[in-house]
Amino acid sequence: MIEVAGLTVRYGGVTSLDDMSLTFEQGTCGLIGPNGAGKTTFFNVLSGFVRPAAGTVRAFGVDLLSMAHFRRARWGVRRTFQTEQAIEELSVFDNVALVHEHSKLGSATRRQDVLDAIAFTGIDASPEAKVRTLGAGQRRLVEVARAVVGRPRLVLLDEPAAGLPDEETRHLAEVIRQIPEHTGALAILVDHDMSLVSACCETTAVLDFGRLIASGPTAGVLRNDDVIRAYLGVA
Amino acid sequence: MLDTAGPAASRTGQRSPLRRPGRASVIRGAVVTALLLFTLFGLPALLSLYYIDTMTQVAIYSMVTLGLGLLVGRVGLVSLGQAAVLAIGAWAAARLLFATTQPYPLVLLEAGLITMAAGILIGLPALRLRGLYLALITLMLAGAITVVLTTVNFPNGGHGFLGYNGSLVNIPPIRRPSIASSDPAYFRYSVVVAALMFLLVFVHIRTRPGRAWAAIRQSEPAALAAGINTWFYKLWAFALASFITGVAGGVLAGSVHYLYSIDFPTQDSILLLAVVLMGGVYSLWGAIIAALLYQFLPALLNNWGVSADWLTIIFGLGVLQVLTTAPAGLADQVPRDLARLGRLLRGRFRRPAPSAGEPQ
Amino acid sequence: MPAWSDFEPFIVSGLALGGVYALSGVGLIVLYRATGVLYLAFGAVGAMGALITWSLIQAGTPGWVSWLVCVAFGAAVTLGYGVIFGPALARRDPLVKAVATIGLTLILYGVADLLWTTSGGQARSISFPTDNSGFSVGQVQVDWTQVIALAAGVAITVATGAFLRYTKLGTAMRAMANDRDITATLGVPVRKVEAAAWLGCGVLAGIAGLLLADLVALDATTLTFLVISSLAAVLIARLRSITVTFIAAIVIGVLHDLLTPITSLTNYRDMTPFVLAAIALLVLSRRGVMSRSREEA
Repeated sequence: MIEVAGLTVRYGGVTSLDDMSLTFEQGTCGLIGPNGAGKTTFFNVLSGFVRPAAGTVRAFGVDLLSMAHFRRARWGVRRTFQTEQAIEELSVFDNVALVHEHSKLGSATRRQDVLDAIAFTGIDASPEAKVRTLGAGQRRLVEVARAVVGRPRLVLLDEPAAGLPDEETRHLAEVIRQIPEHTGALAILVDHDMSLVSACCETTAVLDFGRLIASGPTAGVLRNDDVIRAYLGVA
Repeated sequence: MLDTAGPAASRTGQRSPLRRPGRASVIRGAVVTALLLFTLFGLPALLSLYYIDTMTQVAIYSMVTLGLGLLVGRVGLVSLGQAAVLAIGAWAAARLLFATTQPYPLVLLEAGLITMAAGILIGLPALRLRGLYLALITLMLAGAITVVLTTVNFPNGGHGFLGYNGSLVNIPPIRRPSIASSDPAYFRYSVVVAALMFLLVFVHIRTRPGRAWAAIRQSEPAALAAGINTWFYKLWAFALASFITGVAGGVLAGSVHYLYSIDFPTQDSILLLAVVLMGGVYSLWGAIIAALLYQFLPALLNNWGVSADWLTIIFGLGVLQVLTTAPAGLADQVPRDLARLGRLLRGRFRRPAPSAGEPQ
Repeated sequence: MPAWSDFEPFIVSGLALGGVYALSGVGLIVLYRATGVLYLAFGAVGAMGALITWSLIQAGTPGWVSWLVCVAFGAAVTLGYGVIFGPALARRDPLVKAVATIGLTLILYGVADLLWTTSGGQARSISFPTDNSGFSVGQVQVDWTQVIALAAGVAITVATGAFLRYTKLGTAMRAMANDRDITATLGVPVRKVEAAAWLGCGVLAGIAGLLLADLVALDATTLTFLVISSLAAVLIARLRSITVTFIAAIVIGVLHDLLTPITSLTNYRDMTPFVLAAIALLVLSRRGVMSRSREEA
């Protein structure tokens, strides 16, 4: 459960998020919108990379904005990046373990959690393999595994399927769809690929020029006139 | 952040994804142990006193290049001030050695810790900057430290906090440990200290800090998103490198007996970065190669009567070559070139089928 | 505390030194803005140019010819480096580009020290005819070389400012500082503009080398690493503003020389550029100007 109220972000003279308010209850939720609508900015606010000019974000009752950025990941805000950021010189296992190293759990439990996450995402490589030897699709899965290991609360996926072939996108969609059930987290998916969003998300919100213009069950939102206008640019 | 990686980076990494860690690390451990034993017991017998002294300096500077290589290669922080950090370590050790009768290892530890404290003091504000700005502020601070050292001078048995005896007569030498007063013994002593420092870094990069540094070097946002306190781990790297460099300064103090501030000019920091890049920043061997480039080659050329300026020129060419074509430095390039040479020779002798094209 | 009259001559020498720092700083900034390269070899190029000039004068070449050779040498080496290594490193981090120029610095420094050995060699100097003529302001003797140094600093700053503002090439350079790729798509001949920046920076390196050889010392080591002091002014200006560079350079030069007669501080006067630059960097970083990249995350 995440509640965003009045969130405003300005860069210099540009307003990237304009008084955005939004609530996602549970499951995998979609966040769509044209380029520059503020989707990644929203994620960056949640990650703590961007300090908003105004607004509040409560996740599962906790005031997210007051938390130091690196602590948010430990608390359970996890994300993937538009340009995939699996750590090249570490093994698959170490990549996933990275985020879990600070938890108070015993090392055997942590190890099992990491292996579970790797198995959950269906990475088709040895856990000992260095990430730089993997292909683009596998690297994306490593990133997703890193986002779901342990006890994530919010899983933010920023265009995870960008540049992947259909086959791998289908597999990824399946994984994303199962994240809430498997981990208990709320997953938010940003993507341009409408078929991916409709395959994964029950709920979807639409941003345009930093403002929320629609939100609700995915099928309904995608038929909404405002949304079609924002996307196709017709009056 | 120094992306020495550049376009050629992925190529260097495509080795041995299926390496069996067990056997390979046993072999590597055996090789390292054998090399270390040879260096300790074989090498001094083979070398003249001139080269034993040189190799002592190599051992000392391998710690300096180890620290700098750690910063540049593992964490992606470029410091242009390591010569000044070394000077701080040497100064602290010299002062302690004149002021107290503490055992030498304790002095080394203290010198390391004092330098580490200085490194943290520098790092706290400096690490707010990144990339080029971080490199330049370290250069500026090193310049400032050098000016201060030129004025206060190194301790030489005088009184007061600075311990400088301005009269320049009856200057006692900086003492060495009693078990290592001869030059060959001091060489062994330096090698052991250096080996301990390498071990310290090795343990770091194989455990949590090493993984955190790898994440930071690739992308700070990704590291933050993985819950890594990037500020803390960067400061840790800075502190560790300063500690090692400070210990190196302590060993240096005993090796040369007399310290002068003109021995630590700011340009040495620049030269150190050059040799570290040439040696290779992604491998611990690179630090040893860098130290050989920095101390052994000049001694060799000096012995042959060749001007050390040639070396400066070669270092300059080396930096350009590393940055444009071979980001992983000699530590990576030499084995690959040897392998290529081997293939080439085999090809010459066996005259393979024309289809077996030579890569490049 | 010394009397005010003790300080007066140092104001003059400080202004002259500041003028050369300003000239160097402007050269460094123009190149950095256009190409993203912080040219650390600036001092080494000037040093070697000045040494060549010295040799030419020893061989009986007329003064003005040998001075021109120094400037031409600076321009040729700098342009050559830019043409050869500029494209290869164009897409790399500014830090890598800067470190690469350390490579050039070492090569030039090595060659200069090899050909004009410092250790045990004779002391060299370059003097301009303007050294011996001058005028006095109150009690203070001012020679024309000092005037030229300050005037060159002022002139280069003003001229460069006008050039960037009012000429087509200057506008192109400013645009490239913002975004190289977009500028390229606008039809600006990126390579030519960069070459012009390299050339201009090289000319300034030659001039700075000559002036510093006269004002400070003709010695490869000193001149090569004097660039670090000029860098301080550039850093205070955040690698952006030539006006701030000029002011910072003058302040550094004057402050440095003003500390000379103060007994307790005179040994520390060489710290001036470093301390000022370090403070400026830290203050700026506190405002978050340079510590956070604005791109994705």
